[in-house]
Amino acid sequence: MSAASVTVLPRRTPPTILVAEVDVRVRCLVSDELRGSGFKVLEAGSSQETLTVIDAVRVDLLFIALDLPGAQSGLETAHLAGARQKPMRIIVASADGEIDPGGLGPLVRKPYPASQVVGLVMSSLNWPEPA
Amino acid sequence: MSTLSTNITADAESPLPTVLVVEDEVLIRLVIADYLRECGYRVHEAVNAEEAVAILQSPEVSVHVVFSDVEMPGSMDGFGLARWVRSNKPGTEVILTSGAERSADIAATLCEAGPLLKKPYPSKDVVDRIKQLTFKARRS
Repeated sequence: MSAASVTVLPRRTPPTILVAEVDVRVRCLVSDELRGSGFKVLEAGSSQETLTVIDAVRVDLLFIALDLPGAQSGLETAHLAGARQKPMRIIVASADGEIDPGGLGPLVRKPYPASQVVGLVMSSLNWPEPA
Repeated sequence: MSTLSTNITADAESPLPTVLVVEDEVLIRLVIADYLRECGYRVHEAVNAEEAVAILQSPEVSVHVVFSDVEMPGSMDGFGLARWVRSNKPGTEVILTSGAERSADIAATLCEAGPLLKKPYPSKDVVDRIKQLTFKARRS
């Protein structure tokens, strides 16, 4: 297919965000805030759950805490998820502000206000699109 | 139309309750939580009973109905969670679901809605059960 034949249609449905966070209260608050901003939000509490969802559902952005429990580390999970589903934006969260996300995406330092995550998600996806 | 269904319809004008879905199978949790949100409910999700208790104890969160699987990993299963809710959150309703053949009598002592909702269950049955429970709670 030539590039000229590709038509970009305006997005009709809200982007899907997967929030992968082990602390259920933080996951709940961030997910609620994102839903309040109009996003469709899925939740995962471990690396295994994250990869199961990634393999089953189209996700536009993965917000992943690097201290996620499971067979893989949070960083490994983020890399695996990114390789399995493209294009997908990734935002990583870590208490270690010195950690290098290795080109995965922006880093949010824990603890963070949920509003900071929402702002970052909106700017990463450019959604809602300017009128 | 029965009196119950008439009243449920009329009651639908009230704000819908908040539901906590407790399920360790992430894709089942995702589907039922998504369906309930599409029906207008505010939904929180927990992977296991320990997470459910953490949410129920959270001052920022108010839960009206707990919809929980029985078989879950961890130190507390769905029956244990239902007992905890009954002791610590007496105003909160509980619906249990199970894929295994378990005693309905046990569930009936824990859940206002009576017997277990047997897996696999149609998503609509969950909504009907929540409506019945919240209707009863508002009447009492």
